[in-house]
Amino acid sequence: MSPVSTLKTFEDIDCTFPKTLQEALELMADEKTRGVPLAGGTDLMVQWESGALPMPERVINVKSIPELREISEADNEVVIGGSVTHMELRQSSAVRRAVPSLAEAAATIGGFQIQIMGTLAGSVANASPAGDLAPSLLITDGTVTLAGVRGEREVKLTEFWKGYREIDRQPDELIVRFRLPRLPEGHYESWRKLGARKAQAISKVMGSSRGRMKDGVVSCFKVALGSIAPTAVRLYDVEQWIVGQPIHDETLKEAEQRVADAVKPIGDIRSTAEYRKWVSGRLVRLFLEELAARSG
Amino acid sequence: MSTKAKASKRIPRVGQGVARLDADEKVRGLAEYADDLQVPDAWYGYIVRSPVSHGRLRALTLDPDYDWSRIVVVTPDDIPGENIVDMMGRDMPFIAHDEIQYRGEPIALVAAPTRKQAREAAAHVRADIEELPPLLTLGEMIDRYKRDPSELHELCAQTIRKGDAERALEEAELVVEGEYRAGHQEQLYIEPQGMVAVPEKDGSVFIHGSMQCPYFINPELCVTLDLPPEKIRVKQSAVGGAFGGKEEFPTLLAGYCALLALKAKRPVKIIYDRHQDILYSTKRHPVWSRYRTGLDKDGTIRALCVEYVLDGGAYTTLSPVVMYRGILHAAMGYRCDHVWVDGYVFRTNTFPSGAFRGFGAPQAVWGLESHVDDLAKACGMTPHEFRLRNALREGDVTPTGGVLRHSVGSPAVLTQTVERSGFVEKLSRCSHGRVSDGKWYGIGMSFFAHGAGFTGDGEARFKAKVALDLEPGEDGWPVVLVRASSTEMGQGTFTILPQVAADGLCIDLNRVRNPYPDTKYVPNSGPTVASRTAMVVGSTVYGAAQKMKKQLEEYVTREFTGGQAVQLVDGQFLTADEKVAMTFEEAATHHFQHRGPLRVYDQFRLPDYLQWDQKNFVGDAYPSYSWGCNVAEVEVDPRTLEVNVLKVTGVYDIGKVLNPVLAKGQLEGGLVQALGYAVMEKIEIKDGLFDASRMQTYVIPTTLDIPEFDLDFVEFPYEFAVPGAKGVGEIPMNGLGPAIANAVEQATGVRMRELPITPETLFAAMTRGASGPLLRTGTA
Ligand SMILES: Cc1cc2nc3c(=O)[nH]c(=O)nc-3n(C[C@H](O)[C@H](O)[C@H](O)COP(=O)(O)OP(=O)(O)OC[C@H]3O[C@@H](n4cnc5c(N)ncnc54)[C@H](O)[C@@H]3O)c2cc1C
Repeated sequence: MSPVSTLKTFEDIDCTFPKTLQEALELMADEKTRGVPLAGGTDLMVQWESGALPMPERVINVKSIPELREISEADNEVVIGGSVTHMELRQSSAVRRAVPSLAEAAATIGGFQIQIMGTLAGSVANASPAGDLAPSLLITDGTVTLAGVRGEREVKLTEFWKGYREIDRQPDELIVRFRLPRLPEGHYESWRKLGARKAQAISKVMGSSRGRMKDGVVSCFKVALGSIAPTAVRLYDVEQWIVGQPIHDETLKEAEQRVADAVKPIGDIRSTAEYRKWVSGRLVRLFLEELAARSG
Repeated sequence: MSTKAKASKRIPRVGQGVARLDADEKVRGLAEYADDLQVPDAWYGYIVRSPVSHGRLRALTLDPDYDWSRIVVVTPDDIPGENIVDMMGRDMPFIAHDEIQYRGEPIALVAAPTRKQAREAAAHVRADIEELPPLLTLGEMIDRYKRDPSELHELCAQTIRKGDAERALEEAELVVEGEYRAGHQEQLYIEPQGMVAVPEKDGSVFIHGSMQCPYFINPELCVTLDLPPEKIRVKQSAVGGAFGGKEEFPTLLAGYCALLALKAKRPVKIIYDRHQDILYSTKRHPVWSRYRTGLDKDGTIRALCVEYVLDGGAYTTLSPVVMYRGILHAAMGYRCDHVWVDGYVFRTNTFPSGAFRGFGAPQAVWGLESHVDDLAKACGMTPHEFRLRNALREGDVTPTGGVLRHSVGSPAVLTQTVERSGFVEKLSRCSHGRVSDGKWYGIGMSFFAHGAGFTGDGEARFKAKVALDLEPGEDGWPVVLVRASSTEMGQGTFTILPQVAADGLCIDLNRVRNPYPDTKYVPNSGPTVASRTAMVVGSTVYGAAQKMKKQLEEYVTREFTGGQAVQLVDGQFLTADEKVAMTFEEAATHHFQHRGPLRVYDQFRLPDYLQWDQKNFVGDAYPSYSWGCNVAEVEVDPRTLEVNVLKVTGVYDIGKVLNPVLAKGQLEGGLVQALGYAVMEKIEIKDGLFDASRMQTYVIPTTLDIPEFDLDFVEFPYEFAVPGAKGVGEIPMNGLGPAIANAVEQATGVRMRELPITPETLFAAMTRGASGPLLRTGTA
């Protein structure tokens, strides 16, 4: 049924364009001037149009706030502003060095138009289980920084997604940046996305891993999958189990089985619960195979 | 006046890949699609829809607290004529008034000055409905069919009987059985449905919009609006794709607009957005078919028994003809003396199924060509050996007893496709689901025909008419206008018909135009469907062009050469001694000045030997057939069960190829649509509505999903329809699904019996029972 009381059009929305972060935070601080943060609009516009979200009175455009658009490298981490776009993520050499799977994931989002408009904070705040960037963020054990007029707050990414489309953000806060520990020497990342077609696909299952092999055994392994639970998830039990194991047919089989047993996906319009469960194990197996092959 | 003709011989336009004549207006954004039409004072229409799938409408009330002063509401009481959509079955009301048969069925119409107000007003119409239990899916329908068909509401049925199939089945050495299914498919044209109705001062109505078949709308509106035919004028706007989706459906939209416009006394426009379009427009009929085939061990087909069952949705609309084409293709292509086909369409409480490229044939070929691979296997033959042994050839008899007299591209398409694709050698490399290091490889084929033109004696009875007008063009120079109701929807009508006209007249192509059809000016050349335009309308245009040529030659002979006969060659009138009497332009201009413009008509004719018994389905089911063969090569990733279609080889006989560039475009586009049907496009019924109702969820192939194509033509022109085309629009949709399923079997060892084939369905098939390879074994 068509929603009756939301018959607004985009033109009815009041949109402000703050020039600095400070200005934006001040607007957000006061309930009377506060608006829905709007970055690329690639989620919001779709949700408003379909009626999934009511059209708001006001939006605050955060996409062009200069402080939110930077990418910088520090010793052990890369720092990415919230309004950095998917196109910038896939093209940035700093991101490609520090978190290669994030750049790879960004390159699979939508088409060029979406990649140019859509942003990292937008994807994270939208908190869809099918958001392609979440697994790569999770495996870094990095943080997200939120800001309000009162100051900043840093939250571990592994604790930021609270549930289906739910994040740890106060109404007056904006996501300003992400601090992601860089890929250490000798470690490798993998990324894989399964969609219904080769481009422009929303993930059925996707995931990333970061790991290392030393002296013939796995010395470190972090793996996260998306689209199989209300939020993207780290598979801590499997990670712990594989550390110290060599990679061969037996351990691969067991890893695959452990993953399939651990995840409890649902069936929806994109895939079935059974396939998701099985293929989750297959993806992690594939990541381990890749890790072994690269570690030579 | 008496210069010697240039020695150059005019190059015929037919057969050349001339650039589309509508390319310029489309590339430059000048073409006016329905939503581009500037209609002053137009209001917007919106449809109030039933919230239930099945029920009885007790009462309809308007919210008393809502301001209705600037809103027009149409209920059945406002319909001047009959509240019946004048399609087959005559079972669908324009606006439901008693029993409701599907969720989304119109229960009232509203119009308002803006789209927003119209939508808002629609939400204030209250319906009191007594709910009844609905039947919603193909799955439930087939369960009932198997249990007891009398539990179903039959919309239509038809049989084909040749020989004694039951006995032949008993006597055969082997019997092979198989069931096949496929769901709905959405056309997903770029431009959604859109229409405008303008009430004129003289009481007539002008309909302008996105459509394939202007002359479908006129007779229907006569019934609904109770107006004489001359009071209804229908014009096509530029159309951004149709694929059958704008065959019968625009008639409904035209009716909604017209009813609102007559009551509002002003133009009314309805433009669907994508979501509405997917939810509330026709889709391809879902199909279930069951084959029982009797074989001898040497590969002879003794008996073919087919049940072909379609889900028609809520009302009959075009289902009988879709099913007819389906059953006529369900056993077509192979020699067999005993054929028994039962076709049914049953009702479900869903949006009525409708026309979609192929029109029942892709659903039929999907079952047949999957089954044929099983037949080959049963008698230990390879897929191509079996097909070559049994394929119909010139002089052979079809399942309805028609003789293939002329223009038979079989087995040429088959042998050439097998050779081009390297099928024999590649078949030996297939993986059969054996666990190996890399991907599973498979190759599969399909062989099929597509009946040209209307089914049965449709064309003979219909007698398509076209006209050519010779009149001064915008630049003052004479132009020839093709006057047919055949529409351009992206496929190339407005290019091929002028090509044919130019050749028939023997003048330059740049003197010929094809304006948008407008029933005020064009005779009825029929709907633009059934791959009939190139063959039927093309040859009629050719006939008209030859008539016009003759008339102009006579005119010049009479007026200028003192009785010395002339011939129009390459735009010039030549005397017997090759002297140029005058040019086409000079003669035409003289004609305008002294006699006015010139109009000639022609009408389509077929050879007398064609016979058809519509009741028993005996005789020549089609005047002729196009033929095709596909070979698909696939790779299945054992890690994820993703199916990647690597390459498609195809050879087609579509008769004379009028424009090879456009014809290849039809093949490639059609194959991409068939690829979607085969491995991606999934849309199901949830709570009575289509679930994948946005482009976000209805997944069609992108450019990256398109396999390598190796496509070619082999020409067997149809000599009774000069220049000899047989039709290319639909045949590319027919065979790719089964070719891919056959390739998937060669790759994985698993026979897939339902489209689309997705990783999910493959996974289910491979873990069900013991038929598939054990997936949990490693791949390293
Ligand atoms: C055609 C199409 C294809 C797509 N394909 C993919 C795909 O393949 N994979 C995929 O993962 N996604 C895909 N998406 C989804 C989308 O592109 C991403 O989720 C995108 O990253 C959202 O970013 P945005 O800047 O457009 O967010 P917006 O729509 O502007 O906002 C999204 C949410 O984030 C909030 N927000 C934005 N910035 C901030 C901030 N600084 N602080 C606090 N809250 C903020 C907004 O308030 C809103 O709740 C697709 C979308 C479309 C339309």
